[in-house]
Amino acid sequence: MRRSLALGAAILLAASACTVGADTGTGTNGGGGKEISFLTFESPNLTPAYWDAAIKRVTDKHPDIKVKKLVAPSTDRTGYAKQLLTSGQFPDVAIAVDSAGFAESGALYAWTPEELKDFQFPDANPIKGGHHQLPANTQTIPPIYYNKKMFADAGITATPNTWAELVAAAEKVKAKGGKPFVIGGGKEGFPSAMILDGLVSVDLYGKTPDWLTQRRADKVKFADPDFQKAFGKFADLVAKGYIDKSQVSRSYDDTQAAFLKGEGAMYPMGNWFASAADTKPHDFEIGVFNFPSEDGKLVVPAYTGGGMIVNAKSANLEAARTFALAFQLDKTQLDTSVKADGLFPAIKGYTPPADAGATFKAGYDLYQKAVEQKAVVNAFSWETADDGLLPGMKDKVYQAAQDVITGRKSVADACAFLDTEWAKAK
Amino acid sequence: MTAPTPERAEEGKSPTRRRRKPILPRVWHFASFGAPGVLIYLCFVMAPILISFGYSLTNYNPFNPPTKFVGLENYKNLFSDETFLTALWVTTVLTLIVVIVPNVLGLGIALLLDKKGWLYNALRTVFFTPVILSSVVVSIIWQKLLDDQGPINQVLRALGVDHPPGWLSDPDIALYSVASIVCWQMLGFCVVVYLAGLQGVPTELLEAAEIDGAGPWRRFRAVTWPLLAPSLTINTVVMLISAFKTYDYVKVITNGGPGSGTTATIAFNVLATGLDANHAGYASAMAVVMLVIVAVVTTIVLQFLRRREVDL
Repeated sequence: MRRSLALGAAILLAASACTVGADTGTGTNGGGGKEISFLTFESPNLTPAYWDAAIKRVTDKHPDIKVKKLVAPSTDRTGYAKQLLTSGQFPDVAIAVDSAGFAESGALYAWTPEELKDFQFPDANPIKGGHHQLPANTQTIPPIYYNKKMFADAGITATPNTWAELVAAAEKVKAKGGKPFVIGGGKEGFPSAMILDGLVSVDLYGKTPDWLTQRRADKVKFADPDFQKAFGKFADLVAKGYIDKSQVSRSYDDTQAAFLKGEGAMYPMGNWFASAADTKPHDFEIGVFNFPSEDGKLVVPAYTGGGMIVNAKSANLEAARTFALAFQLDKTQLDTSVKADGLFPAIKGYTPPADAGATFKAGYDLYQKAVEQKAVVNAFSWETADDGLLPGMKDKVYQAAQDVITGRKSVADACAFLDTEWAKAK
Repeated sequence: MTAPTPERAEEGKSPTRRRRKPILPRVWHFASFGAPGVLIYLCFVMAPILISFGYSLTNYNPFNPPTKFVGLENYKNLFSDETFLTALWVTTVLTLIVVIVPNVLGLGIALLLDKKGWLYNALRTVFFTPVILSSVVVSIIWQKLLDDQGPINQVLRALGVDHPPGWLSDPDIALYSVASIVCWQMLGFCVVVYLAGLQGVPTELLEAAEIDGAGPWRRFRAVTWPLLAPSLTINTVVMLISAFKTYDYVKVITNGGPGSGTTATIAFNVLATGLDANHAGYASAMAVVMLVIVAVVTTIVLQFLRRREVDL
């Protein structure tokens, strides 16, 4: 009898180890309230303290909701979210995660028009007719932040308004022995491609706003002349020595630090950099100008989204939705995100705090003028909807940019590479 | 009628019955003690392999249903996929370096450390320490060291090198930088295995060889090296398998870059394809091919090395 029990227990133990749980959210009904999990990510701007304070502000108003904070191991929170989904641990709520892929699979809750009524761009980022990510904020990607002292030393008296003026400014800086651009890359990749993103957005999307939608329909290709032309301008900067290829291995954090240390005159980066520009130590004044177009026409690349997504299968769906909306619409939280991460909250009636930093204000003003003039286009490689890059293609764009920087690929080869990878990604 | 004596009672038993009795306990012991391990192995090793093979015959994408059977199309596409072929090349180069360098250096260091004394004991510990560190921790540390603005290049600049190498940014160098890091960490393993092997070399043989007039090199070649054959086998196979499935170093240090595929191993591509691009079926095909390659290469290497052991 004891032997039978032992054998049964052994088999049961082994078998239970092989059981895979149902794919549900990771929230539970905690004692005294509903618990939800919230996936965050950390960066120089978004510290653990930032997230803790933000969560507390919401839970103080909703004491029945308890939040278990999860932290992605890198800034690639989208990749981490996929791992969690695959392993059956998809969080109840996540922020700034590309919703493409998750939405199509049915993993995300689709926000209703009523829930989106307070957002400035409720129709942003549709995926198969649904809106799965709260369009909480807008980011201009990239404006060009510049070192005013280096500009003055190089005899540059006005910010570039055309591409030719930008190139001329770069040449002047180089002639003075400085580095025209600060770029990075490392394992994040995107700092290597910022200039390329700007060129494609301004030159290509400025003329053909739905270019990527056409690409999805195979009506255009990366190897087409228009895209190659934009890429060619990027390669031209490399050929002229304005971009230092040794910087492609530098992490995003180190890249930002390098600019703040005065290692280069211009830093093309999303407007989130304004937070660091306004708060972190540097011994020169920082300015910002729009990414210049060929003819000086105002075209500002931007992306609206970056908000909360909610697990459609959350065990506490109502609590998750409540938390997400409360988080995104809280005035104090919005003000904090402006200061901490330089975001432009896309909430109706919102105005930035009076004590926002000077660099942020300058960038925000540029964006507001673009909105008024209807000069905003999508930011290439940052779109996350039906008109966005296919899953996995962002990394390929970053790789292509790095290959051109290091001289490993010509522009034609890089564009052909993107088309090849696109065909595989479909 | 008298009761049979014990001897007579024993004689009455059938020999067949006595031999059959132990069978049941053996079955029982296997079922009791072996079953959990076997079940765990089946569930966590064999089942995933079979499932992966199954996925490799489909276009499985967890984010884009439905899944369709595509037969061997994934495998066919693999061998015309430049990204995969590049990864195969990268993995091969990395594997060759990681198999050869730690073995050679490990043997040399082991010979130097094969002496008595507290200093040599301390040095053994020093050399083995990297092995027990997390590969992610090692990767992060070395990434900082090898950065263009890192301490190594700063020292080189201070020494007058105006343009030090881009250890991680130069596509021609990055793979060798990653391989060097892997070698650095795995070196200690080889050292320890060779030290253990050296402990098994009979001093009598060495003394006899010395008496016969054999010098240090001859003693090493004729006595020590042949007797280290098992150590060589262990080190080679372990390094081979470890190198071929290298993922974490690449992910943390370079994320497959700089650029496209310069340091991307097959294992890295498996995860990038499966998790970033969501093509789990295609990724599974890569994984299966990698498994087959590792199995075949390992078998061949083992056969060759074990034949050398047998020849002794």
